[in-house]
Amino acid sequence: MNGENTSQKNYEILISRQQLASWVEGLRENFQLIGPVGVKDEAEFREVFSFDEINPGYRSTMLPPGKTFLLKPEEEILSFDITPEGPVAKEPPLPHQKRVLFGVHACDTHAILYLDKVFLGAFPDPLYRARRENTLIISLNCRAVTEFCFCHLVGAGPFLKAQSGYDVLLTDMDGEFLVELKSERARKLFRIEGRPPEEKDWKRKEEMELELLKSFSKDFRADGLREVFLSRPDHPALRETAEGRCLSCANCVMVCPTCFCHDIYDETRVSRTGIKRMRRWDACQDYSFARVHGGNFRQERQARLRQFVFHKLDYEGQFGVKGTVGCGRCIRWCPTGIDLTEIAKEMMK
Amino acid sequence: MRKNPYVPFKAAIRGIRRETGDVSTFLLEPESGLPPGAPGQFNMVGYPGVGEAPISLSRVPMEGSDLLEHTIRAVGRVTYFLSAFRQGDEIFLRGPFGRGWPVNEAGGKHLVLISGGLGLAPIRPVIQMSDKLQARRITLLHGARDPGSVIFKTEFRHWRKKGIDVRLTVDEPGGGWRHHAGMVTEIVRELQIRPAETVAFICGPEIMMRFAADELFLKDVPGSSVYVSPERRMRCGMGLCGHCQHGVWFVCKDGPVFSYPELKGYPDALF
Repeated sequence: MNGENTSQKNYEILISRQQLASWVEGLRENFQLIGPVGVKDEAEFREVFSFDEINPGYRSTMLPPGKTFLLKPEEEILSFDITPEGPVAKEPPLPHQKRVLFGVHACDTHAILYLDKVFLGAFPDPLYRARRENTLIISLNCRAVTEFCFCHLVGAGPFLKAQSGYDVLLTDMDGEFLVELKSERARKLFRIEGRPPEEKDWKRKEEMELELLKSFSKDFRADGLREVFLSRPDHPALRETAEGRCLSCANCVMVCPTCFCHDIYDETRVSRTGIKRMRRWDACQDYSFARVHGGNFRQERQARLRQFVFHKLDYEGQFGVKGTVGCGRCIRWCPTGIDLTEIAKEMMK
Repeated sequence: MRKNPYVPFKAAIRGIRRETGDVSTFLLEPESGLPPGAPGQFNMVGYPGVGEAPISLSRVPMEGSDLLEHTIRAVGRVTYFLSAFRQGDEIFLRGPFGRGWPVNEAGGKHLVLISGGLGLAPIRPVIQMSDKLQARRITLLHGARDPGSVIFKTEFRHWRKKGIDVRLTVDEPGGGWRHHAGMVTEIVRELQIRPAETVAFICGPEIMMRFAADELFLKDVPGSSVYVSPERRMRCGMGLCGHCQHGVWFVCKDGPVFSYPELKGYPDALF
């Protein structure tokens, strides 16, 4: 897209940092404002009260914004009152908090689109859907990458190319911000006068991405993994990594923005007057994750690590996109430094 | 399905048939709204405070009766809890979920049903609708551990009367067992079939499904005519919780019935 399309013109605008700050702060009237606070790859998405708290130059966060705020780590999905006639199901109230997720990088935006495929498919999840509808997503193109990032290898970044499924795309143009409005509600909410971007601005944006692409350090071939994965499921690269280094701690899964697995379990109130049916993030790295009566389909650590690596880098047939967005969090937060891109490289040798 | 797919339906227990020492069939009358389901589909069966477990329909409501049936072995937290239930009690159901047996493919074919142990439960609704299948011939090959663990024993006579060729085997015969002794793969091997006109539905322990399928492949039955129903851990039944993922599949919503080539080659399974 180059902005020459007239019908798009009003939806693309250059404004100053100050204008952006006052618009974003103004959103607080109707929305809870969540943004990245902190530096480098250890920033954190949390509620902010002024734009100054936000660091638009942050590189990464430990917990991904989408999964954390749309699929809470733990929540009640149903409850039962215990009555003389037996348990009676009660749906939890739908979340009504209106929220802005500000500064969502391309990888994390793609991750939200991935979660949509899971939770808004044939069986839409009522809580996820309510939060998703109440959340305005303001995405932000990266200006710097971490040593763990590989979004460029899996088509998820560093600049966001998706055209829908989120609300606003921002690009920090050195002092000015390029604002691209991607949803109807964003067009309604954004009423700031600015400068329409010219050909040279689009060119500058392109150059910025090309420049940024040079700073990635990860490199592996994502295509052609399928045959290798399925023909060599016991490849030494997997086996030795699993047996020698993997702790099955599930950090990789917890910080993964696309890992959607969760357990469902019941909690009975001590007074026995009610029961809560809860869900909580779960992980394929956990020993009992694939256990059934009489067996465990992934009893070996190797099998569990393989499930994570294959699900992220292959198994595109599941949702039509890769399970990874290349955010690199699983590498950054692995206590023993396991790197799925290194495993893939070894397997492709 | 309800608007909120997590909200279960109540079902009254209208009867309980003891099949073996730890297997019982629950005859259930669900409150209105629960779709009847199809052979090979399952419900999430449970009770608040204990949880839910995926259980195949062992009878699909048909003309003449709204009752559905679940045949349950008491082995885990949920199923053990349910084993204490009696006629008149209520349990909770969500479903039916998943893709069942491709019963339409049996038309004009020799339908070979192969089951091991409790694997006969999801096969049973296929047998119950056998007169609607327009199959040229139906054979049931069923294996169990020993004579005492054969489920639906009292029904075989009726199934034979309907024209179904029922062949039984047990691993450990004893006490007047008059049928085959040995693994179910052995009675598959003995079966005379025309491979191009055969379609097979197999359910049982994964290793049994694998070797039963191999016997059919040795007889030149094409892989795409062989269907299996693998078991996996499930929490939601709707492709959300992720536990049942196998390769690209969610066993709960893409399966539980798969054609053999759909599963072939993925790790963490025997297919």
